[in-house]
Amino acid sequence: MTGEAVTGRRLPDGWGFLVLPLVAFLLVVFVHPLISVLARSLSDPEPGLGNYAAFFDSPVYLDVLVNTFVVAGLVTLVTLVLGFPYAYLMTLATPFWRGVLMAAVLVPFWTSLLVRTFAWVLILRDTGVVNEVIGALGGQPVPLLRNLAGVLIGMVQVMLPFAVLPIYATMRGVDRRLLQAAEGLGARPAFAFWRVYAPLTLPGVAAATLLVFVSSLGFYVTPALLGGPQNVMIGELIVQQLSGVLRWGFASALAVILLVVTGVLLLLAARVVDLRRMIGGGR
Amino acid sequence: MNETGGSVDVLGVGKTYGQAVALDDVTLHVEPGEFMTLLGSSGSGKSTLLNVVAGFTRPTSGSVTVDGRDITHDPPYKRDLGMVFQHYALFPHMSVAENVAFPLRRRRVRGAELTRRVDEALDVVELGGLRDRRPAQLSGGQQQRVALARAIVFRPRVLLMDEPLGALDKRLREQLQLEIKRLHTELGITFVFVTHDQDEALTMSDRIALLRDGRVVQVGTPADLYDRPASRYVAEFLGESNLLPAANDSEALLVRPQDVRLSRPGADLPAGDHAHDGKVTEVIYLGSGLRVEVELRSGGRLIARTGTRLDPVPRPDDEVVVHWRQQDCVTVPA
Ligand SMILES: Nc1ncnc2c1ncn2[C@@H]1O[C@H](COP(=O)(O)OP(=O)(O)OP(=O)(O)O)[C@@H](O)[C@H]1O
Ligand SMILES: [Mg+2]
Repeated sequence: MTGEAVTGRRLPDGWGFLVLPLVAFLLVVFVHPLISVLARSLSDPEPGLGNYAAFFDSPVYLDVLVNTFVVAGLVTLVTLVLGFPYAYLMTLATPFWRGVLMAAVLVPFWTSLLVRTFAWVLILRDTGVVNEVIGALGGQPVPLLRNLAGVLIGMVQVMLPFAVLPIYATMRGVDRRLLQAAEGLGARPAFAFWRVYAPLTLPGVAAATLLVFVSSLGFYVTPALLGGPQNVMIGELIVQQLSGVLRWGFASALAVILLVVTGVLLLLAARVVDLRRMIGGGR
Repeated sequence: MNETGGSVDVLGVGKTYGQAVALDDVTLHVEPGEFMTLLGSSGSGKSTLLNVVAGFTRPTSGSVTVDGRDITHDPPYKRDLGMVFQHYALFPHMSVAENVAFPLRRRRVRGAELTRRVDEALDVVELGGLRDRRPAQLSGGQQQRVALARAIVFRPRVLLMDEPLGALDKRLREQLQLEIKRLHTELGITFVFVTHDQDEALTMSDRIALLRDGRVVQVGTPADLYDRPASRYVAEFLGESNLLPAANDSEALLVRPQDVRLSRPGADLPAGDHAHDGKVTEVIYLGSGLRVEVELRSGGRLIARTGTRLDPVPRPDDEVVVHWRQQDCVTVPA
């Protein structure tokens, strides 16, 4: 198996020092800030678990945490439902249309998140394009801003490439002739697709799920601009605590809690799917 | 022949891809229980013809019937034909047993009956011990056996095979040829087998259909094609052949190398033999015999295959007489 070959590859003896710059880099930009965040959460304004106690004492904060995971889960679901058929379409398209489809997911990727989110505000507001069309067709305006719908639309658009790319990469490696073989053995095309093709795309789907879910947990700009007061996500709360009320210790505790819960979820996920194989890019 | 085999009729089938003609008015009848081989060089249309029968390729014209029922417009999953591919096409995420069970599940076979028939099919291809392996953990020959088991487990009346041994090395190929032949006798179903290997076709088939540029150029038993080729192309495609000018220009004389004898000039020849003078240009030792190339005095070259115990053993530049019996040469339309 390729996975083992990759993990089994070693540097020749004596060249181990080549990884030192990487280790130093990670220590400076990753481990050090993490430790200082953890330290601050336990020491600011006074030493102890006060910040954590404050979090668990108030249902408001717990609600924000739960809401964060609910929104991330919904975003993941919608992104997969859109991304899977999109990636499949890319495998079927001619090279020209494949390029167009690829560009269509990637172009937003290259534009500023802030600009994109403000664009959504213009499109989704009550006097925006969407509601104008609905109005012209004789319908009532649909509230799409300052609520869950707005957050989902904005975040799904941002996350779509993270689902499409890994799924498409896996699909490209699936032998379409297997579908033909399945039909020759008596399977209807739809059955052949779900029993033969879809299971073979699972590594890509799992990678997309993790990537989208974990990234969604930390969203800040999009829910802040498109969501309402009921849809506060933990990223917003952290910013608010930092720059609004200057409770740096509490903000640090929030960050640590998000990190721990995410870590636990990843560990649970790892029991179900082979993370290493997924991240290692193996089939 | 046998009650469980289906008859296959291909009637005037044509297939074009834009300007390119892949099949040109092909008509072929396959008897119930027959082992029919589609033989031809690369690009002659063998796979296209098989895929038309399997339903993967829609013919531009003509029709296909199995047991008299027109299936030209049926999708593949309704045709109930077994199919084996050169690339095996095993489902990598399923075990050997699950692969073999796949066509049965589609036919609502369940429980003990399912297990029994899967085991039975795996026993037929002698893979009973590997039922829980994944395809990736099998050798090429084993994978192709699984593909065979999967194609016969639902008892199709016709089994289609597209170069099933093409990816295997020579020894394994020869072993599997015999196994497929045995399977054919045991099951009694109709086999349509594609190969570009003439030896494989000669060894395995009841009848061979030789294709060239999308047309069937001759259909017949291996002996028909080898001994009585309908054209120069057939003669040259199957085995080594010597083609000599005949009395009239539209025909040629065919004599197979193993029928050619060598004698010293002036030696007594059997009465009635055709004889030509010539000079040896090359001798190759093959173990099982010698391959001797002779340049004829009348022009042209000729190959003879002889035993190794000739006395004396011919050498390059020896003057020889090549001769053969009247009944060992046939006239072939040029
Ligand atoms: N999808 C296609 N599009 C265009 N031309 C095709 C297509 N499939 C086959 N052909 C052409 O049809 C002809 C017959 O192809 P086919 O695959 O049947 O040959 P074959 O006898 O199976 O050859 P091989 O021994 O190489 O497998 C070839 O000239 C091929 O280029
Ligand atoms: Mg072919």
